[in-house]
Amino acid sequence: MKKIKKMFRYENVGILFVFPAFLYMLVFVGYPIIRNIILSFQDVGAGNLVRGTKNFIMFDNYLELFKDSVFKTSLSNTLKYTILCLIFQFMIGFLLALCFNQRFTLAKPIRGILLVPWMIPVTVTALMFKLLFATDIGVINFILRSLDLINKNIEWLTTPGTAMFALICANVWIGIPFNMILISTGLTTIPKELYESASIDGANKVQTFFNITLPLLKPTIESVLILGFIYTFKVYDLVYVMTSGGPVNSTHMLSTYSYKLSFEMFKYSKGSAVANVLLAILLVVGISYIKVTTSGEEE
Amino acid sequence: MDEEKRLTRKKNILLSVVSVVILCILLFPLYWALITSLKTEQEIFRNPPTFYPHVLNSKSYAAQVETGDFNMFRSFANSFLISVGATVIAVLLAVPASYGIAKYHFKGRKIMLLSFLVTQMLPVSVLLTPMFIMFKNMHVYNTWVAAVLADATIGIPFSVLILKNYFSSIPKDLEEAAYLDGCNKFTAFIRILIPIAKPGVMVCAIFSFLYAWGDLAYGMTFILDQEKRPITAGIFNFMGQYGTKWSYLTAFAVVTIIPVALIFIFMQKYIVSGMTSGAVKG
Amino acid sequence: MKRKKIIALFAVLAMTASLVAGCGSSGNTGDSAASVDEGTTAGEEASVNEGSEEEPAPETESSGDAEAVTIWYYWETEGHQVALDQVIQEYNASQGNYEVTAKYVPFADFKKQLSIGASADELPDIAILDSPDHASYVEMGIFEDITGKFDVGNYYEGTVNSCTVDGKLYGVPFGVNCLALYYNEDMLSEAGCEVPTTWDELMATAKALTTDSVTGLALCSVQNEEGTFNFVPWLWSTGATSYDINNENGIRALSFIQSLINEGVMSKECINWTQGDVMNQFIAGNVAMMENGPWQIPTMQSEAPDLNWKVTLIPKDTDYSSVLGGENYAVINGGNVEGALDFLTYATSEEKVKFMMDKFGYISADKTIAENQFEADSPYQPFVEELNYAMPRGPLAEWPSVSDAISLAFNQVITGTATPEDAAAQAQATIDGIVK
Repeated sequence: MKKIKKMFRYENVGILFVFPAFLYMLVFVGYPIIRNIILSFQDVGAGNLVRGTKNFIMFDNYLELFKDSVFKTSLSNTLKYTILCLIFQFMIGFLLALCFNQRFTLAKPIRGILLVPWMIPVTVTALMFKLLFATDIGVINFILRSLDLINKNIEWLTTPGTAMFALICANVWIGIPFNMILISTGLTTIPKELYESASIDGANKVQTFFNITLPLLKPTIESVLILGFIYTFKVYDLVYVMTSGGPVNSTHMLSTYSYKLSFEMFKYSKGSAVANVLLAILLVVGISYIKVTTSGEEE
Repeated sequence: MDEEKRLTRKKNILLSVVSVVILCILLFPLYWALITSLKTEQEIFRNPPTFYPHVLNSKSYAAQVETGDFNMFRSFANSFLISVGATVIAVLLAVPASYGIAKYHFKGRKIMLLSFLVTQMLPVSVLLTPMFIMFKNMHVYNTWVAAVLADATIGIPFSVLILKNYFSSIPKDLEEAAYLDGCNKFTAFIRILIPIAKPGVMVCAIFSFLYAWGDLAYGMTFILDQEKRPITAGIFNFMGQYGTKWSYLTAFAVVTIIPVALIFIFMQKYIVSGMTSGAVKG
Repeated sequence: MKRKKIIALFAVLAMTASLVAGCGSSGNTGDSAASVDEGTTAGEEASVNEGSEEEPAPETESSGDAEAVTIWYYWETEGHQVALDQVIQEYNASQGNYEVTAKYVPFADFKKQLSIGASADELPDIAILDSPDHASYVEMGIFEDITGKFDVGNYYEGTVNSCTVDGKLYGVPFGVNCLALYYNEDMLSEAGCEVPTTWDELMATAKALTTDSVTGLALCSVQNEEGTFNFVPWLWSTGATSYDINNENGIRALSFIQSLINEGVMSKECINWTQGDVMNQFIAGNVAMMENGPWQIPTMQSEAPDLNWKVTLIPKDTDYSSVLGGENYAVINGGNVEGALDFLTYATSEEKVKFMMDKFGYISADKTIAENQFEADSPYQPFVEELNYAMPRGPLAEWPSVSDAISLAFNQVITGTATPEDAAAQAQATIDGIVK
């Protein structure tokens, strides 16, 4: 009895509230994580998936990865893709936020409608961009031709460099609303008085932006970039539907390569190792997110 | 407040025009999908492309209703059921969890927060096989329940991260007043805090619904029967079956977008506040 | 169904709730977490060892105590699905012991579903799968050894080899196909071209046929097994083999495909076109010649009845060559083996084989049936002739990896990301790492 009472000490009651959700996630997601880590240290292939002994080969899968050119491409692709997407969707989102924070008549309704791209199933978005970037019937090639920017259709999805560009475009399209709305709200939290006193001091718009807006938005910007990083880094559906990692593996990401190894080539353990590399990178980012959002809280 | 910030008439019109242009550019892919679904296959391949359907073709919509296996209405209903189920679980579990994390500074709180975040990061290749094994042992494989349980794992962590900010923004005095009125921790949570955080709860519900609605991998893997599969799996099948038959594919895409659009129209206020509070400290 | 779902939801919630209550007394999250993990893993092992006695197959209300037999297949063509279904219906009506149901699993998902199913011991009783993958699943140990249960003495040797491992038979060929060259007769006569028989003639013909709106030749070049299927005839025609590419012959094959792209007689878009897409382009008149299989014929006849086309052997470099395709039936061990064998005996009878082959546009794997399957002027006849030059891929458990290397090499030269020499060397290095 006494023990139970101690359990109900003020702060520990919180655990009871968190526990059901925590347990649910532990069962459905915790077990897969542990299984995946074990699998990545074994030598599981078609031959010993169901029967036969699974040998522990420790870090061999990971060492093999660093000799694997597709893995290296996937790793650098994932980083390149994530960083480029973040830069573009952040900058465009920022500009739109600045624009829609002016109090003109249509600001609120239009800002609302602009959120739609973020809410569409990714499979559908991928499909739409595949259509837009098609070589012969694609409207993007048509517009470029009409503007005399090109005289021959660009084979967007069948040329390594441009296929990556098309993927980035699709993802930026999804990400712009997310960035816009978060920055937009961040802007409204900046006290108006600061701008007023700045203009009394004779600061111009550029100076105000760099001296007041940016520093005060810092927490928002950090959150936006870190959350954006996590969602972009594990991209799967978009790439799978638009390019399946092609042409010639040039758009493979860690997630799609892991999937291909596990489910198309029967190299289960190697696929797990790729997934763990992805997870390790995201874990580092996740820890920094927790640090950013809980800093300043009394503990 | 307002009078000093009201824009000049000229600036107002200028900004409105600019914003409409931005809107048109950003929503163009949606428009293009819509008109492609209404064109005939010949017109889709016409060069230069047509910017509105010259011959209105509703065959691509009709075809999906007629054929047995990929009936659009049925897969629509499946998606709806799965999404609602996932939403219910996510809300029931995430609301108390986020309250606990926001209001109680127990030991291991940050670790729990981190673990919720980590669960959002897993690539599908990690999850599919172990989840499949669990669902089979729970005897829910090849039923909606499997997809519901799996989809809830996307909604829960996201909801916890968002709702935690809602709860921490509620002043402690309110809770303490409730205790004086004779509430204990649990009744205070249910009678006082949940009503206040209602907008946040709505947001979580909407997001959990949208995540489940957009899921492809779980619905494809854990449900084998075509007639039980969600609508995203239907699109994926069509891509295999019809290859470049764009009128069919885009018709399916349009139907998938409709509920999203409806949710948006009715829930706009909640969505905006939800996206905001997720990342900015409350 | 709906009620079942709700009950399950409540069950989960109740379970969680009871665990919460349990936590109150023990107060140790770590403990219960560990037991949950153990529970699931133990369950997994147990079910793997036991085999599946309980078949959670759908309730079959129709025929009382008939045992369920399930089939997985990946044919997306409606005609194929209808034909298979008809045979199943007839079988179910003909006897009362077994109730067969077939489930469509998309090709892109088929391998994933089979490997996950193998880990979870949740497999059908019969799988109808792509022949080059057969050896991998045999190695996985999920197929029943059915040596002596079927007489495959009259079957084409290549098809029997694809389901034979270490002299044991692990499947029955469903039907065979191979690739050949389709050409648009009107376009050829308009351009005054003869039907090409060699690579040089093919190049010249393709050039003559290419206009602003028409490209001369198309072949599915997707970077997966489907692409490999379409590439190997060109590779083998030079005398190169699937395992020996980095030589004069292999490089010549890669160079030829590259020159088709460079000369503009084949579209780079081919790397995104499935065989179905290639066929659609052909019947839309956007492509004058294509490499494709006989299973397209029923669709082409119904969708483009006025199109004037013919089929001929794939033009040769050194030798005529084609690739053996088709599916095999495999019986899953631990499933309803008796029922599966009973159905297969029925489905491989001459009458049923003939019916399905006609509907599918396939050629029977049974030589005696195949020889009399078509009239002399049938569009299928060239495929029967082409079969004489067709070779199987593999059989090899690691075929998916070899295939990946081959399709990558061809994709590299098509997209211009590697020279034929480099692509060949790179593919060889990968293959040497697999096949010692």
